[in-house]
Amino acid sequence: MGLSFREKSLWLMLASLLGVFGFYFAVVLPPEAPNVMPEQVAVFALAVVMLVVVQIVGHVAIAIVDRRTDTDERDRLITLKGARNSGFVLATGAFLALCAALATEGNFVFMHVLLAFWVLAEIVQIGSQLIMYRRGA
Amino acid sequence: MGKRSGRLTNEVRALRSGQGGMTQQDLADRVGVTRQTINAIEGNKYSPSLEVAFRIARVFSVPLERIFGYDEN
Repeated sequence: MGLSFREKSLWLMLASLLGVFGFYFAVVLPPEAPNVMPEQVAVFALAVVMLVVVQIVGHVAIAIVDRRTDTDERDRLITLKGARNSGFVLATGAFLALCAALATEGNFVFMHVLLAFWVLAEIVQIGSQLIMYRRGA
Repeated sequence: MGKRSGRLTNEVRALRSGQGGMTQQDLADRVGVTRQTINAIEGNKYSPSLEVAFRIARVFSVPLERIFGYDEN
């Protein structure tokens, strides 16, 4: 069974997310100060721009090759179930980030616990969708 | 209410083969879903909505229960 446009899109998002935020966390960790420094904000901005560019270029390339970019009720159901799964991770991350804000000095840990769980939630969302496309929704 | 372990079964692949080699893409285009969804339905990996089920039945001009069944086990 060949991959649909939607599955290719998910693989692209997963790879770009892992690559870009892998780069970001490799640069900013371990923390050098209690607060987020301006250089780290610049790295974050660069990471976001890279993510957007890679995803736009990748989706255009996939759309050119694939031609069929239509989605249907199964895609919508899988998207909803994936979002439900990621919601649990994001809520857990928000709670842990608040705990970190109370327990640590400065904003670095709070910001990065929140960011790490947002990335993890995205990975869970994409990963669970890819599994549902293969094993059934 | 307890969760039941039954599953939806279907004869879509057999009916498609009986239509002079209708491809999954042909059926998908006529029903208005993707080819991958037809493949998932045929492999019992996805239970379509009633709307899609009726559209499939209409393509083959047969009653719904001729295509879809429910296996209690």
